[in-house]
Amino acid sequence: MYGLLITVGIILLLSIIWMVYRIQTLVSVVKGSDKKIASGSNKINAFLFIVFLVGGGGWMIWYSIKEFDNYQLPIASEHGIVTDQLFWITMAITGIVFLITHVLLFWFPYKYQYTETRKASFYPDNNKLELIWTIVPAFVLAALVIGGWKAWSDITKPAPENSHVVELMGYQFAWEVRYPGLDNVLGENDYRLTNASNVSGVDFSDKNSFDDFSSPVVIIPKGEPVLFRIRARDVLHSVFAPHMRLKMDAVPGMPTRFWFTATKTTEEMRAELGDPEFVYEIACTEICGRGHNAMRRELRVVEPDEYRKWMSEQKPYIVNNPALVSDLPTELKELADITISEYKK
Amino acid sequence: MATAHTATHSDTSHDHHDHEHHENFITKYIFTQDHKMIGKQFLITGMFWAIIGGLLSLIFRLQLGFPEMDLGWLRPVLGGWISPDGKLDPEFYLALVTMHGTIMVFFVLTAGLSGTFSNFLIPLQIGARDMASGFMNMLSYWFFFLSGVIMFISLFIETGPASGGWVVYPPLSALEQAMPGSGLGMTLWLIAMTFFIASSLLGGINYITTVINLRTKGMSFSKLPLTIWAFFLTAIIGLLSFPVLFSAALLLVFDRSFGTSFYLSDIYIGGEALPNTGGSPVLYQHLFWFLGHPEVYIVLLPALGITSEIIATNSRKPIFGYKAMIISMLGITILSFVVWAHHMFVSGLNPFLGSIFMFLTLIIAIPSAVKVFNYLTTLWRGNLIFTPGMLFSIGLVSFFISGGLTGIFLGNSAIDIQLHDTYFVVAHFHLVMGSASFFGLMAGVYHWFPKMFGRMMDARLGYVHFWLTFVGVYLVFFPMHYIGIAGFPRRYYSWTGFEFSNMYTDLNMFVSIAAILTFGAQLIFLFNFFYSMYRGRVASLNPWRSTTLEWTTPLHPGHGNWPGEIPAVYRWPYDYSKPGAKEDFIPQTVPLSATPESNLPHEQELVKLEKEIIADEEAVLVANEAKES
Amino acid sequence: MEEKISYIEGAEQPIAMHPKKFALWLFIVTVVMIFASLTSAYIVRQSEGNWLEFDLPEIFWYNSAIILLSSITLHWAYMSAKKDDLAKVRSGMILTSILGVIFLVGQWYSWGALVDRDVFFVGNPAGSFLYVFTGLHALHLISGVIFLIIVLISSFRFQVHSKNMDSMEMCVTYWHFLGGLWLYLFMFLLLNH
Repeated sequence: MYGLLITVGIILLLSIIWMVYRIQTLVSVVKGSDKKIASGSNKINAFLFIVFLVGGGGWMIWYSIKEFDNYQLPIASEHGIVTDQLFWITMAITGIVFLITHVLLFWFPYKYQYTETRKASFYPDNNKLELIWTIVPAFVLAALVIGGWKAWSDITKPAPENSHVVELMGYQFAWEVRYPGLDNVLGENDYRLTNASNVSGVDFSDKNSFDDFSSPVVIIPKGEPVLFRIRARDVLHSVFAPHMRLKMDAVPGMPTRFWFTATKTTEEMRAELGDPEFVYEIACTEICGRGHNAMRRELRVVEPDEYRKWMSEQKPYIVNNPALVSDLPTELKELADITISEYKK
Repeated sequence: MATAHTATHSDTSHDHHDHEHHENFITKYIFTQDHKMIGKQFLITGMFWAIIGGLLSLIFRLQLGFPEMDLGWLRPVLGGWISPDGKLDPEFYLALVTMHGTIMVFFVLTAGLSGTFSNFLIPLQIGARDMASGFMNMLSYWFFFLSGVIMFISLFIETGPASGGWVVYPPLSALEQAMPGSGLGMTLWLIAMTFFIASSLLGGINYITTVINLRTKGMSFSKLPLTIWAFFLTAIIGLLSFPVLFSAALLLVFDRSFGTSFYLSDIYIGGEALPNTGGSPVLYQHLFWFLGHPEVYIVLLPALGITSEIIATNSRKPIFGYKAMIISMLGITILSFVVWAHHMFVSGLNPFLGSIFMFLTLIIAIPSAVKVFNYLTTLWRGNLIFTPGMLFSIGLVSFFISGGLTGIFLGNSAIDIQLHDTYFVVAHFHLVMGSASFFGLMAGVYHWFPKMFGRMMDARLGYVHFWLTFVGVYLVFFPMHYIGIAGFPRRYYSWTGFEFSNMYTDLNMFVSIAAILTFGAQLIFLFNFFYSMYRGRVASLNPWRSTTLEWTTPLHPGHGNWPGEIPAVYRWPYDYSKPGAKEDFIPQTVPLSATPESNLPHEQELVKLEKEIIADEEAVLVANEAKES
Repeated sequence: MEEKISYIEGAEQPIAMHPKKFALWLFIVTVVMIFASLTSAYIVRQSEGNWLEFDLPEIFWYNSAIILLSSITLHWAYMSAKKDDLAKVRSGMILTSILGVIFLVGQWYSWGALVDRDVFFVGNPAGSFLYVFTGLHALHLISGVIFLIIVLISSFRFQVHSKNMDSMEMCVTYWHFLGGLWLYLFMFLLLNH
């Protein structure tokens, strides 16, 4: 019933709009406004530009200031401070350019709108002007490039020797975290060995793998460099830790890496934000299928002592599942058994 | 039937050849070789795809803005992709995004923008009867149409369309096990793109050939309108970059169907370790972005070219820095081929290369800056008439500034780490591409509609359309910047899974509503377009009082454009408001010798050269008479 | 004052090239880009390691000679056409077509030779690329042979002569390009092994 009412109402409404359109068309023909070069709408449009400039610009400034705390994520890494600084420098420069150009862009139409009596100025070029606004942006951009280049170089240089290694392997649709254990060396992996009990495809014929262990949470120490070794098992993924300003693709067959130093523990950040539930998170930012938006993993920053304590309490793969090394050659098998027995205590 | 080549020659004898041959519906509207009709075919098809692309974006925006909404009312259209409790399938979300991107970028802005205006304007503005090869043009359109048909079919198959993002990175796109959309849907996507590439190459070859070989007498490269320069350079970019996408797609096809390992390596998926080894997924990214980045300039340059024309015309003032504009576009053309890897900063790219690409990326901002400042200076002290086309052109400049400046952030590799694949990127390219280029398309339609259809579009509806769209687009995409800075990843079906991302649900709702209203505003345009086509006021021969050649043709130019001799060109296309001239515009066809009162000193020098053109013309006439006798 | 003059030039003479031939050159540019991107991809992959090394089949040497020879015979046909010597035109074109087909057959046998050396399309990209290069080139050469036959048929209908060289010239250009492309590919493969 109401569906019918609304339908009839809409039809009648459209009829009215149609009639208004036809009426104003007829009126404009009667008035002869079609013959003029610039109609009365010219003034309206010119005025609207100013309205938009003031309204839009005002809204933008207001919102930018009001919501700053929401969109500016807290920084928790050393390089993040640098890149964020770079970001805001760029923002300042482009912000100024943005405002100036838009003021001009909307002011000119208002000021120079069409009048019958005035004639536009014939001003086809001015080489000096051209030169100025080629060189100035070039210098500005050069400054930005230099700043960016320094930051980029620092971020991508090889990790320090004492970095804590963590492997993050992306697969549909989760992250498998693997720690190298006390030797800080990850065991080799071979994708052909992957199965239900060996999710990462660890090659246990490499003795470095005996102390490797998995963790549901990525725990890293504060103030010490951490090296993420990143790879993918099936398709492209991408590790993204927003508060760490960290992102790197996980590519199958081509392992990648990213190292950083965390500056604040999870507890410190909770205290700072006044949010006891706060956690650092890892997300996936390369399209990978139906669960792309659900590849979540918690990242927890702790004090170095706490980290070492936690590390020592973890049990390797082979301790949890001795069958993994059951069919190794004798020598390696013995070594593995020793390792297992040590952890059983 | 051969007519007699009689020995006698008289002035009236040509009348026997003047009668038009009778066209039927097929040869006039379907299999036409007339570049104008082909241009219109591209436009209408582009509009169809714009509606499809727009509708797709509305659907996924409903999901993003109103995650709890019951979408059961879409089930008649979308079928099983809506679950029984009214939720959108996550995979279909990705498919929507993928197809939205592909359709908008390629079908709407490449074919709809370049295809339409290159075909329509090149012969008209350079003074040619048609393209170098009308047949190739026709083929170009029909390949595009075929490509569209295949792509359209892929929207409705059971396993869904391609859903690996518009960039279709392997392994996701190469392996059917990775997601259902990578099966038949992806195959159809590849086939459609193959035909699309064929269409673009055929068109591009034709455009370049026509511009270089078929210009009318006097139309030197320095007298070509900026529109033509833009189309010319766009065609060159396309010619050089589309084959690379073809190569990428070819290798992908081999990986998908023939078991090769170009892109695949060390993959364990669906409980199975694949035999592929030695491949490199990053290789595909290089090849794709070697096209992908030039593609964004294929999309943008025509829009900038169109804007140059419209701003100058409606400012009644010559475009500022004509030569600088050309050099800018040439600079953009060249640089567009050397910055592709700025899309791959975090893909494990060699750090040294990253620095190089950052440097080159920010260089590309300089020619763009020059263009922006030149537009502003053209407006300065002009006599501005706000036609709908003019409004859209000003809007374009605004979007280009807004979007372009965010490119500066992204081009800085250190900053890009945080911003890559977030909504900041989405906002960036929607402002420059979705909005700036789209406004160029709209501006072009409003400006050249009288030439296309011989009628005027309704200006008032155009104003309403502009303001609703202009404000609407900013309301849609400006908030996305904040969302992106906050780190929200793109291509996420829902953001409620993460703590850091679930704070902007109200802003997303705002964006979605704005998107719906913006799309609704386009219906005004569509009504205006189709209604005016049949019932619009009959246009005058030169409604905008423009200087360029297309306005010298009859109101409804037949195949061959000019019924008689093609007019010769004597001056550059921007003689507006010349000091001393009677009118505030002087068409290109008026000899400099005919307007001594307004000639600049250097133009007076050219009057002598002009005599040579005229003398040449006379010599040709005499020579032809000699041949006849 | 100098800068003001610079943006308006005098009457520029049109480029002295047939539009159809120019379009053919542009088409050649697109083909160049396809092969350039594929050879670039080849280099990248090779540099990444995990690369199978093997020798190229000897047939490639003979094929290169055949392609060169076919270019010579085609050019001879072209010169004859300029002199309205239609008999020689046909002889040259027929010879070239035959040589082209022999080349294609040779390429087919080279694939057989590759299989004999355990270099397959599937498997290591080193082999895959080789098949792609030769296959894609062969496809273009098939179109070249078709074009040759079209022009040959035209010559039988007396449409190829000194006053009507367009199709012949385009055919010669395209065929020489394909020959040169093969030599480039062959040299490229030779030097990258």
